[in-house]
Amino acid sequence: MATFAPTHQEPHHHHHEVDKRPLSYWWTRAFVGTIVGIAVGFFIPWFFRFVFGMEPLWVPELYYTVILSTATLGFLAGIGCFDYWMKYILGHRVSYEDHSMHGAYSWRDYFKVNTDHKVIGIQYMVTVFFFFIVGGVFAELVRAELSTPGQQLVDGEDYNGLFSSHATVMIFLFVIPAFAGLANYILPIMIGAKDMAFPRLNALSFWMLIPGGLLLAASPIVGSYSAGWTAYTPLAVQGSTGQTMFEVAVQIVGTSSIMAAINFMVTIFTMRAPGMTVWRMPLLVWANATTSALVIFGTPFIAGSQFMTLFDRIMNTQFFNPVGGGDVIMYQHVFWFYSHPAVYIMMLPGFGIISEILATFSRKPVFGYRALAFSTVAIAILGFGVWAHHMFVSGMASWLRIPMMLTTIVIAIPTGVKVFSWLGTIWDGKLHLKTPMLWALGFIFTFVIGGLSGVYLATVPIDIALTDTYFVVAHIHYVFFGGSVFTIFAGVYYWFPKMTGRMYNETWGQVHFWLTFVGMNVTFFPMHWLGFQGMPRRVADYDERFAAMNEFITMSTALMVVGTLIFFANMAYSWAKGPKAPWNPWRGRTLEWLVSSPPSTFNFEATPQVVGGPYQYGIEGARHAVVFAPEEIGGGELTETERRTILVVASETVSSSTLLDEIRRKSKEGPWRFTFAVPAKGRDHRSAERRLQVALAVLAEAGVDANGSVVDGGPIEAIEKVVEEEPVQEVMLATYPSGQSGWMENDMLDRARKATGLGITRVVVRRDDAVAPAPGSGVVALGVVANDALGTDGLGAAIRNRADQQPLGVTLICPLNLTGPGWTDDASKVRDEAVDRAQRTIGDLVDAGVPAQGEVIDGDEAAAARVAVTAYGAERVILFTLRGEGGEATVEAVRAAIAPVEVEHVVVDAAAPAGS
Amino acid sequence: MATTDLTSVGEVRATSGDGAIPPTIDRTRNISGGMLMMIFFIGSEVMLFASFFAAYFFARYNIADNDWPPLNQAGEPFKLPVLLTGVNTAVLVASSFTLHWAEHRLKLGDRKGLQVGMIVTMLLGAAFLIVQLNEYWHLGFTPSDTAFGSTFYALTGLHGAHVAVGLLILLVMYIRITRANDFSAKFATPLAAGSLYWHFVDVVWVILFLLVYVL
Repeated sequence: MATFAPTHQEPHHHHHEVDKRPLSYWWTRAFVGTIVGIAVGFFIPWFFRFVFGMEPLWVPELYYTVILSTATLGFLAGIGCFDYWMKYILGHRVSYEDHSMHGAYSWRDYFKVNTDHKVIGIQYMVTVFFFFIVGGVFAELVRAELSTPGQQLVDGEDYNGLFSSHATVMIFLFVIPAFAGLANYILPIMIGAKDMAFPRLNALSFWMLIPGGLLLAASPIVGSYSAGWTAYTPLAVQGSTGQTMFEVAVQIVGTSSIMAAINFMVTIFTMRAPGMTVWRMPLLVWANATTSALVIFGTPFIAGSQFMTLFDRIMNTQFFNPVGGGDVIMYQHVFWFYSHPAVYIMMLPGFGIISEILATFSRKPVFGYRALAFSTVAIAILGFGVWAHHMFVSGMASWLRIPMMLTTIVIAIPTGVKVFSWLGTIWDGKLHLKTPMLWALGFIFTFVIGGLSGVYLATVPIDIALTDTYFVVAHIHYVFFGGSVFTIFAGVYYWFPKMTGRMYNETWGQVHFWLTFVGMNVTFFPMHWLGFQGMPRRVADYDERFAAMNEFITMSTALMVVGTLIFFANMAYSWAKGPKAPWNPWRGRTLEWLVSSPPSTFNFEATPQVVGGPYQYGIEGARHAVVFAPEEIGGGELTETERRTILVVASETVSSSTLLDEIRRKSKEGPWRFTFAVPAKGRDHRSAERRLQVALAVLAEAGVDANGSVVDGGPIEAIEKVVEEEPVQEVMLATYPSGQSGWMENDMLDRARKATGLGITRVVVRRDDAVAPAPGSGVVALGVVANDALGTDGLGAAIRNRADQQPLGVTLICPLNLTGPGWTDDASKVRDEAVDRAQRTIGDLVDAGVPAQGEVIDGDEAAAARVAVTAYGAERVILFTLRGEGGEATVEAVRAAIAPVEVEHVVVDAAAPAGS
Repeated sequence: MATTDLTSVGEVRATSGDGAIPPTIDRTRNISGGMLMMIFFIGSEVMLFASFFAAYFFARYNIADNDWPPLNQAGEPFKLPVLLTGVNTAVLVASSFTLHWAEHRLKLGDRKGLQVGMIVTMLLGAAFLIVQLNEYWHLGFTPSDTAFGSTFYALTGLHGAHVAVGLLILLVMYIRITRANDFSAKFATPLAAGSLYWHFVDVVWVILFLLVYVL
């Protein structure tokens, strides 16, 4: 009996067949598909109305509904979402293991249908942050209108459209898909899978978000939907064309959401690596499984409610028309039966992210792992029984109030279990206050406030007083902004190194956090008072007595705007030019940290084996999983916890090639990992940070597992701090030669031995080696050409800034530009001065933690640049000139001399005269 | 033909050569991903029907029991053809049995029987749809005649759409069987998932018939 085709598995090659068709092919098809879809969508209702003789032929909202649906299908077919399935349907031979659309090899692959969950994850994240900007602009317009009483920018109808659009975009196009995007990237790796269960369905889920999102975001153009994101009838039945777009778009986005959830469910159920029992799953996986169940069983209810609204709009049905026996309250019941669980759809994945981050950055096992897992499930189940607490004043059956109040208050119990488990996790932990951790801690603070005001609102008498006031606005923003959005930022920072292979800028990350955290609280906290005083929500105008506070709130949002701009700048710059990320920058235990950053095309070379729980930080000998390394680097097994740690203590010598060579040699001997502890006091902190970045960048490039931090205090304090936190097997101490070394004079070797009880290896580094730029990739060789600009504050500051963004090795070439003969006294005086200036500049740079070397040459700037490139291998050149000296001709000469090397021109102010 | 081995109930994959293994589902589990997907999808569909049933019962709850079904514009109660639809229900239920018989023939290696069973199933399904459309034609009320008409048409229409989708799925399976010589006694996951969907559509109809027509 014949069995063939679909059961056949293609032999796997590392260089699998990749589809070669260009972007223009796909997007032309998408364009044509959309046009055909529009035409078909016009024809269908016309045909039926014509054949059945219905009058009038033209019923705009009916046509719009069909056209928007068929245009979406046309777009999806055109972009290629259905290609494989069409072949299957038509009975052609297909291979289930068709990976021709898998993986990204250039930026182009992100702009077409791709089946790689990692590519789809990034497609999701970029898309949702685009919609985050759109939703944010709507929010700022709302606040601008509310800045003072009376009518400012828009009339009441448009104002209703603005807040409706803001909420809809943020909920359906940012928060929900952002969690889907993060999980898309991380979750399969976390459970040891090579992809999602249904990669083609996964791609379809993402691509549906594009037409659905554009319909929602663009609806203000045709007369926005203004019934709020809840789209209550009868407002929604009477609304303008924008409302039709809303109804259709919610169906599209909801379908996308359901398909993604089914995909996650099957992935989690069937594709976990061997050994990953349910009690060994990371909490993010628990959270996503639970959320997926909510989406699968809840979202059909919003679909149902929007279908009925649409039918009332275009087919004159009587679902919500009391005259025809319909029931307006029924809409609210059906809608909230989805939309209250949707609140948890927007919260549970965030809970999962927070659990991951708190454990990693507290260096402790999660407190109450099973309690956290069970409470997630409990919240989801209880969440289906509380919907009518949104309707206490709607006129629904009044006997429903008390049960709904009680179930709502009961939900505070599993939520409280979570909060206390998180506090238990950070209790007595070694907290590392990196950006993701700040977001996680900030989340606990704001989410508890939002949770408490939620319990408040759940009680019937208080709700009757406060419903539809700004108290509700404050509550929802504390749980959605202070809750969901904070967790999304936490997750984005946490997995940014894994997803992009580069580190984000820590300083700007923290600035982003503090601006947003403060801005969020000063914006939304005063709204509690406004609500108590009776200011109604969803009204464009308000009483004079609320003026001062509203003006304050509108101004406060500026903090969040600035923070968000910093976030985008940081992400964009770091993605393009940030330092290379190591495999495991945070010392995480879960599987995604045991593969490279970013992971290879199919994540794992061989199926990993899970052997323990995911969060056993600080437990001797505990391990989560065994991952097998690719053959290129030995093919042996890699485990996070089996690696042995060498503690490297070095101060000024940390970026020296002697030390780095020794570490590289040592790392080849066994599964060593290196933890740097760089002692620094006060002002030296920044310099030490720069030197450490250079060392880590070089080692990351060489494939060495290295990590570290700058510690305030002396070397012994640094050693003690690290030894307290993790088991260390050896210590490596880098110093200058005896006689030149302050540490050796203070018997550092003996003291370190006593402090640790471990063997100490001393690495002797010559002073000139310590300051010279480290050779090797990972560090940008920067040529600096300057003469008169040497010694100015501007030059030092410019180079330090660049070193903060990217590890540098600086070569300073000072052209003398002599016009006369070189042997005169004048000439030698000029030369001596130049040498002096160059030496001082190099000394300053080295003190600032930027390795530097240099020389003074006869000749002009072009010659100097040529020396920097040819003799010192500079990859980029900066030319410094003084303000007012007109360096344009020089810049051109330099550019011409060393093309195609990039030349940057920086103009600095002359140094202040000495003594002033 | 490639050698085959049993890695999961209902699904067989050929062993690959050497080298890394591309993504596969069903590593050690005893249910295939395709069946699981269909089960979750059906769960979602159940909820979609539930939302329309909720609308139906709201409309019904608002009217005293002995006033149901309500009066139409001519002042007479709406009438549903219970007997004809009952026969039609039997037709649809029969189609579930013929489909099951077809799957059983495949397990015995009888591909001819499989094809015959599927054709009979599709004919029964199509007959059901045609009778339903004919019923719409002769009912004498429309979706805009009170909430009774709206919920009746929404529920039966939603179900009719599902029957149509189910027929399409069966048609695709039939094409796979005949044109691609697909499925065998050991591997028939898409067919099994499609038939599960068909059974679901049947069960929903039986519930709908009891709640809306009979009660």
